[in-house]
Amino acid sequence: MKDDKAFQERRARINELRAKNERMSCRERALTAVKHQEPDRVPIDNWMVPEIQKKTMEYFGCDSYEELLGFLGADFRNNYGPSYVGQSFKKHPDGTVEDLWGVKRKTVIYGKGTAHQGSYTEVAESPLEKLKKLEEIEQYDHWASASWWDYSKVKADCNTYHPEYCVINVGDRLDRTAQLKPMMYLRGIQQIFVDMVMNPKIVEAIRDHIISYFIEYNHSVFKAAGGAIDIFMMGDDIGGQTGPLISLDMWRKFFKKGFKTYIDIAHQYGIPIMYHTCGDVKQFIPDFIECGLDILQSLQPKATNMDIKKLKEQFGKDIVFQGGMDIQHVLPLGKPEDVKAMAKYALDSAKQGGGYIICTAHNIQIDTPIENVVALFEAYHEYGKY
Amino acid sequence: MDLLKSIEDALINRDMEAVKALTQKALDQKISPNDILNKGLIKGLETIGALFERQEIFVPELLMAGMAMTEALVLLRPALEKSDVPPVGKLVIGTVEGDVHDIGKNIVSMMFTGSGFQVTDLGIDVSAEKFADAVAREKADILALSCLYTPTRLAMKDVIRVIEERNLRNKVKIIIGGAPIDQSFADLIGADGYAPDPPSGVKKVMDWLGK
Repeated sequence: MKDDKAFQERRARINELRAKNERMSCRERALTAVKHQEPDRVPIDNWMVPEIQKKTMEYFGCDSYEELLGFLGADFRNNYGPSYVGQSFKKHPDGTVEDLWGVKRKTVIYGKGTAHQGSYTEVAESPLEKLKKLEEIEQYDHWASASWWDYSKVKADCNTYHPEYCVINVGDRLDRTAQLKPMMYLRGIQQIFVDMVMNPKIVEAIRDHIISYFIEYNHSVFKAAGGAIDIFMMGDDIGGQTGPLISLDMWRKFFKKGFKTYIDIAHQYGIPIMYHTCGDVKQFIPDFIECGLDILQSLQPKATNMDIKKLKEQFGKDIVFQGGMDIQHVLPLGKPEDVKAMAKYALDSAKQGGGYIICTAHNIQIDTPIENVVALFEAYHEYGKY
Repeated sequence: MDLLKSIEDALINRDMEAVKALTQKALDQKISPNDILNKGLIKGLETIGALFERQEIFVPELLMAGMAMTEALVLLRPALEKSDVPPVGKLVIGTVEGDVHDIGKNIVSMMFTGSGFQVTDLGIDVSAEKFADAVAREKADILALSCLYTPTRLAMKDVIRVIEERNLRNKVKIIIGGAPIDQSFADLIGADGYAPDPPSGVKKVMDWLGK
């Protein structure tokens, strides 16, 4: 941590508020909220793209991301799961690299030559997209295997943060426990949507391979962690900006059973489960609750029907919410006072009785001004106290 | 007229085979291709849009409707050309530079095609220059820009800048869409409009063109 006066001044407000508000360890605070009880202040989780991590570290004079999280009062630490020890991922001459499922991925650069330049990895080619018959799908020879991972370091990795912080097993973004997402990677987004209407057997076949992989994988992760994982996270986007991507009937038909299976496994090990999905999923929430979901993550405020106040009123006693801060408009395009108003609204609406973890609805994006990032965290501490 | 109603209903039910068969039947019965388009397909699309907005149908159903319309137009196009019906409009569409997502763009493209537009789909990760080239080459009335990934929406601003630099701005109307887009963003970058979903995009553009 840099000690120059300028940095000390920048850190002063958050330091002062934290000294006044905090009486619990990060893990205690987080787990108290997850149990629908009120801790000392609303727990904070932090999602940022690496470029914003760097910018924020520079602004506050932090030498590492861990130091930044410590300063900001982030209560959660991510664990990315076991180490991959399977065959090396095949590289192709066109620059694409195969992933765990044999899906070719490429690096895409956006904002070329601007201050906002960044990159992400995306599917370049879906290996099952062109196949017509169920038998051809079954003959695919690159279904992932849980034996491709070395689980021996999971516990030690978690223990870097456990028990001081609340450890979330997030997995890797591209291989996070899911159903629809890997299906989209393998079959192509458009084709899997067509299949849901026209070829349900193909949907079920691909899905079953994916589920059986994640069942074995997650059992292995939880056993290896030996109690050092506090929250397990899965992620599968089924919401769009103006409504769910698929109907509730279709979700029940294809995905509900697998969704519940994943939750049951985590619960066998006594681990609460957090589910990430972007978008408007309001009409799915009663089913999520019925399946035993503990925490719903994202609450994308610009999506239809995802107003945190209404969701808290309707579902707040049965499910914990994490998220609610808008990265699409308020953070990149608003003013610091808009950011503060947004955080205050969410905290005033959702903190009562515990059951709320404040965070952005997704990673804070590269086009967000630093003043807004600062305003966001100051607001978390200004309005998060119980 | 009943046949046109049947085409409309088949589209609303996303029954691709029925849409195709009924379109062919209507052509065989010498119903004007323009009527098949306007009183059958486009009318059906309006209901599809309303159902989507009310969250009664979702992306797979929207996709099926788009596919059905595209298939119907394959049958309809030769007849439209033969009877000298010009395209409803000329539209250039693509996903902006830095963004490789295309499901939304593809559905929009299908629905414009199915509504009788001449559609030039430039695909994904399209540079501002390529958009401007296509607008000039095709003498497009409409430029439709798509993105999904939030930070890539800034590339839309560049496209508008290049269109202005090439003196094309007063010749083409620009509509934008995608998850991180709303009217305030359209205003911010100087687009002519925004649509929250593919059917309402078609409707907005039809209004612009006075159709």
